[in-house]
Amino acid sequence: MPRRGDPARRLSFTLLCLAFVMSLFAGRLVQIQGFDAQVYAKEAAQKRLQTNIIPATRGEITDAAGIPMAMSVERRTVFVDPALITAAQRGEVIARLSETLGVPANEVAAKVDAKPSRYQVVKRDVAPGTARQLMAYKLIGVNTELGYERVYPGGALASNLIGFAGADGKGLEGLEYAKDKVLAGRPGEQRMEYSRQGQQIPMSAAQRKEPVPGRDLRLTLNRDIQWKAQEALNRQVAKSRASSGSIVVMDPRTGHIVAMADAPTYDPNRPEISTAEQRRNGAVTRSFEPGSTNKVITTAAALEAGAVRPDTSFTVPYSLHRYGSLFHDSHGHPTRRMTVGGILATSSNTGTLQIAEKLGKDKLSAALHRFGFGTRPGTELPGETAGLLKNPKEWWGTQLYTISFGQGVSVNALQMASVYATIANKGVRVQPSIVAGTADAEGHFSPAPAPKRTKAISPRTAEQVSRMLEGATSVDGTAPKAKIDGYRVAGKTGTAQRINPACGCYRGGGYTASFVGYAPADDPELVVLVALHDPKRGSYYGGDVAAPVFSDVMSFGLKTLKVPPTGKKSPKIKLYP
Amino acid sequence: MTARGFGAPSLGSRRYGRSLLSRASAPGSPLWRLDWVMLAAVFALTVFGALLVWSATRVELLDAGSDPTSFLGKHLLNVAIGAVLMVLAALPDYRVLRAYAPVAYVLASIGLIAVLTPLGATINGSHSWIVLGGGIQFQPSEFAKIALVLGLAMMLGEPRDGEVAPRSNDIILALVAAAVMMGLIMLQPDLGTTMVFVAVILGVLAVSGADLRWLSGLLAAGVIGSLLVWQMGLLEDYQIARFTAFADPSVDPRGVGYNANQALIAIGSGGLLGKGLFNGGQTAGHFVPEQHTDFIFTVAGEELGFVGGAVLLVLLGIVLWRGLRIAMACEDPYGRLVATGVVCWLTFQTFVNIGMTIGVMPITGLPLPFVSYGGTATFAGMVAIGLLQGVRLRTRRYD
Repeated sequence: MPRRGDPARRLSFTLLCLAFVMSLFAGRLVQIQGFDAQVYAKEAAQKRLQTNIIPATRGEITDAAGIPMAMSVERRTVFVDPALITAAQRGEVIARLSETLGVPANEVAAKVDAKPSRYQVVKRDVAPGTARQLMAYKLIGVNTELGYERVYPGGALASNLIGFAGADGKGLEGLEYAKDKVLAGRPGEQRMEYSRQGQQIPMSAAQRKEPVPGRDLRLTLNRDIQWKAQEALNRQVAKSRASSGSIVVMDPRTGHIVAMADAPTYDPNRPEISTAEQRRNGAVTRSFEPGSTNKVITTAAALEAGAVRPDTSFTVPYSLHRYGSLFHDSHGHPTRRMTVGGILATSSNTGTLQIAEKLGKDKLSAALHRFGFGTRPGTELPGETAGLLKNPKEWWGTQLYTISFGQGVSVNALQMASVYATIANKGVRVQPSIVAGTADAEGHFSPAPAPKRTKAISPRTAEQVSRMLEGATSVDGTAPKAKIDGYRVAGKTGTAQRINPACGCYRGGGYTASFVGYAPADDPELVVLVALHDPKRGSYYGGDVAAPVFSDVMSFGLKTLKVPPTGKKSPKIKLYP
Repeated sequence: MTARGFGAPSLGSRRYGRSLLSRASAPGSPLWRLDWVMLAAVFALTVFGALLVWSATRVELLDAGSDPTSFLGKHLLNVAIGAVLMVLAALPDYRVLRAYAPVAYVLASIGLIAVLTPLGATINGSHSWIVLGGGIQFQPSEFAKIALVLGLAMMLGEPRDGEVAPRSNDIILALVAAAVMMGLIMLQPDLGTTMVFVAVILGVLAVSGADLRWLSGLLAAGVIGSLLVWQMGLLEDYQIARFTAFADPSVDPRGVGYNANQALIAIGSGGLLGKGLFNGGQTAGHFVPEQHTDFIFTVAGEELGFVGGAVLLVLLGIVLWRGLRIAMACEDPYGRLVATGVVCWLTFQTFVNIGMTIGVMPITGLPLPFVSYGGTATFAGMVAIGLLQGVRLRTRRYD
C-alpha cells in the first residue's frame, strides 16, 4: 500500500501528464498540418509570391518612310535597399555607386542611410552598359530595374502633333496620348518568390509572362518636308511677329498629311520647360475666320448649282451697301465688269457677295458642309475643333455675304487645307489622315483603314475653279509671290479680320494672313496651307506674308518628292469680259 | 524494457582478456548500464537539430555572401563540446557532486549578477548574456538551471532518519535560495527561464514527498503573485503583448502576433510529408524570426511535415520518459530529485517551446532542448543528460 506522497506514485502521475501533453501536441499538429494545411499553404505562398511588372517596349512613332520620330531606349533605374546594406559594406557600396554613376558621394550616402526604407532610387535613366558594370560588383542591397526612356530624335520636329510621353511611359499629349493603347503594348509579369528581406529565394519556381511590345505607329508625314515646313513657318512667324502660325501639307489624292507644324513649338525631350501655348497643335485645335480663301467654296457652289458660269460677268464696285452695311474690297478700285474667275482671282468681296446672292444661303451652307466645315477632320489628333458654322436658319441679314468671303464662319487650318485638296482631287473629298498604319515588332505592317471619300463637287466644277485659282497666282491675281518657276500653281490668299476678344468685335483684333494652294495645278501632288495669326510687323496680307512661305515649302516639297516640272503654262482665263 | 537490447553487443562480442575495453563492455559494467535508448534519442535529436539549423540559416548566410554552413559548423562544435561536458557530468558519483552544489549555486548567482552589470549584453531585449570577446558569449541563466536542480536536490533530498519528507525549514530554505536566483533572472528580464524555475521547484517539491499543501500553497501564491505583478505593471510591455498575442494572434499581425502567425503558417504549409529538407519556402524566405533558435520546430514542421514533427515529438518524449524512469528507479532521494529536476526542466522547456510554435502556448524565449541553435543551452542540455546518466549508473539494480 503506497503511502501518501509516495514519490513513485507522483512520478507515474507525471509520466501520465507527459504522455497527455505529448498527444495533445500531436493532435494539434494533425489539426494544423492535416486539416488546415491547405489554408496555411496558401497563406505561405502569398507571403512569398510577388509579382513584378516587366515593362513593355513602347512602339516607335515613325514618318511614312519608317524613320523614327519617337522611340524608346532601354534604361535602368539604380536603387538601393538600405536594410540590406551592412555597416561593413556601406563604404564600398557608396564608393562604387558614386564612381560608376557619377553621383556625388554625399548624395549616395543619404540614400544608403535612409531609414526606415527598402527602396531608394539613386539614379534614373542609367545606360544599360553602366548598369551592367555596376551589377558586376555584386553589391548586396544594390539593384536595378528595367525602364524605358522616351526619346524624340528630331527634337521639336512635329512635336506639336506627336506630343510626348511621361516618365512612366504613358502618352500625355498629341499622338502619344491619342494612340497610347496602340503604342503602349501590354506589360509582362514576373512572379517570383521573395524572402521577408526581399531577396529572391533561390531555386524557387519563377513564372514569367512575357510583355507584349507596343506597335509602331507609322505616320503619313514626310520627315524632310515636315522639317522644311516647320523651319519656314517659324522663320516667318518670327519675322512678321505673328502670335502663332500653322502650316499643313497634304497629299490631295490620299488625304495624307505630309507635314503639319505649328509655331511656337517646343522640344518634347524636355516638355517640363514648355508652355501649353507652345505645345498646342494649332493646325487642328485653333479655329479662325478664314477670310478670302473661303471664296473658293462660294464660287464652286455657285458653279455647281448652275447659278453662274465661269464667264458670267458682274458689275463690281469698290463698295456695296447691303442691309445697312457697307461692304468693300481690300484695295480701292474703280467700278468695273468682272467675270466669276476675275472676282476669285482678284479676291473681290463685292463681286463674291453678288455671286452668293445668286446662290442663296441654303446652298452655300450645304456646300460648306460638303467641304468639311462644321465637322471635326477626324484624324485621331487630340483636341480637333470643328470650327463654327451656324445653321443657315440662324444666319442673320448680312451673314450670307460675310460667310461668302470667309468672315462669320471659322475653321481650323486642316479643314481649309482639305477644301483645296478636294478641288485638287477633282472634287472628291478624301478625309484627312495622319496615321498610315501600325507595325508589330517584326515589322508586319497593317495599314490604317482607307479614308472616307465623298464627292463635294463635280470634276468639271473642280476643273473650272482650279483654273481660276491659277489666276490668283498670276501677275493679275493677289498672290504672284506664290509662284514657283516651272510649275503651275493654284491657290488663294486670305486676309481675315480677327475678333478682338476684349470687345467681341473686329476692331484691334488684327488679321489672319493665309495662303492655301496646290501644285502642280494640272496634276496636283501637294496642297500647302500657311496661316499666320496676327502678324504685327510689315504687311498683314496673305499674299505678302503667307504666300512666300507657301512657295518656299511647296517648291521644297515638289523637289523632295521628285515631281518633275510639267513645263506647261497656265491657260489664260478671262478676268474681265 | 531495459537497455540491454540497445547495448553494444559488438563491444561485448570480442574479449581481449582484461583489457580496458573488455572490462568496460562486460555485462554489468558502467557502459552496459548507461541508458542507451536515451542517448540514441538525444543523438538523433542533435542530428535533427543540426540539419534544421543548417536549413534555417543557409539562405540568409548565402544572401549575405558568407559560408552557408558557418552556423552548422558552430552548432556541431557546440554539440561536441556539450558531449564532452555530458561525459564529465556523468563521470563523478552524483553524491560527490552534491557536495559541490553550494559552489554551483554561488557561481551561478555570481554569473546572474554579472549579466546585470556592464559585463552583460542585451540581445533581443533581454539582458541575459555575458560576452567574453572572441565570439564567445554565454547565458548564465542556463547554468543556473543546473545549479537550481543540484541545490534543490541537496536541500530537499536529505530527509533525516526515519522521515520520508523534507522538513518545513528545509523547504523554506530551498524556496528562499531558489527565489534569489529567480529574482535575478526576472531582472534581466527572462520570463521563460523564470517559468522553468517554477516548474522545476514544483516538480522537485512534489517528488520530494513534501506535503501537497506546500504545492497548493505555492500554486496559490504564484497565481496571486502573477496577478499582483500584472496589476502593478511590473511586466514589460512586450511581455504583456506576447500574452495578448497568444490570446488572439490576429491582433496586430505585423507586430507581436507576427511570430505566432508566421510559425503557424510555416508549420501548416508543411502538410503531412513536408516540402523536403532545404525546400521550405517560408524557411528559406526567413519569414519566421529566430527560426534557428526558439522557432526551430517550425523548420521541421514546414520541411519535414507532420511526420518529421511527430518524430521530433516522439524522440523528445523518449528522452523525457527515460529520464522519468531513471528518477523512478533511483532509491536514493537525492539522485531521484536530481533526475526529477532535470526532467521537469527539459519537459517544461519542450512543452513551452513546441507549444508556442503551434499556437497553444504564449511566446517566451525558450530553446528546444538538443535541437535549437545556441551554445549555452546546448551545453546545459547535455550536462542535464550527463546528470541523468550519472544517476542511472549509480543506481543499484535489483532486476
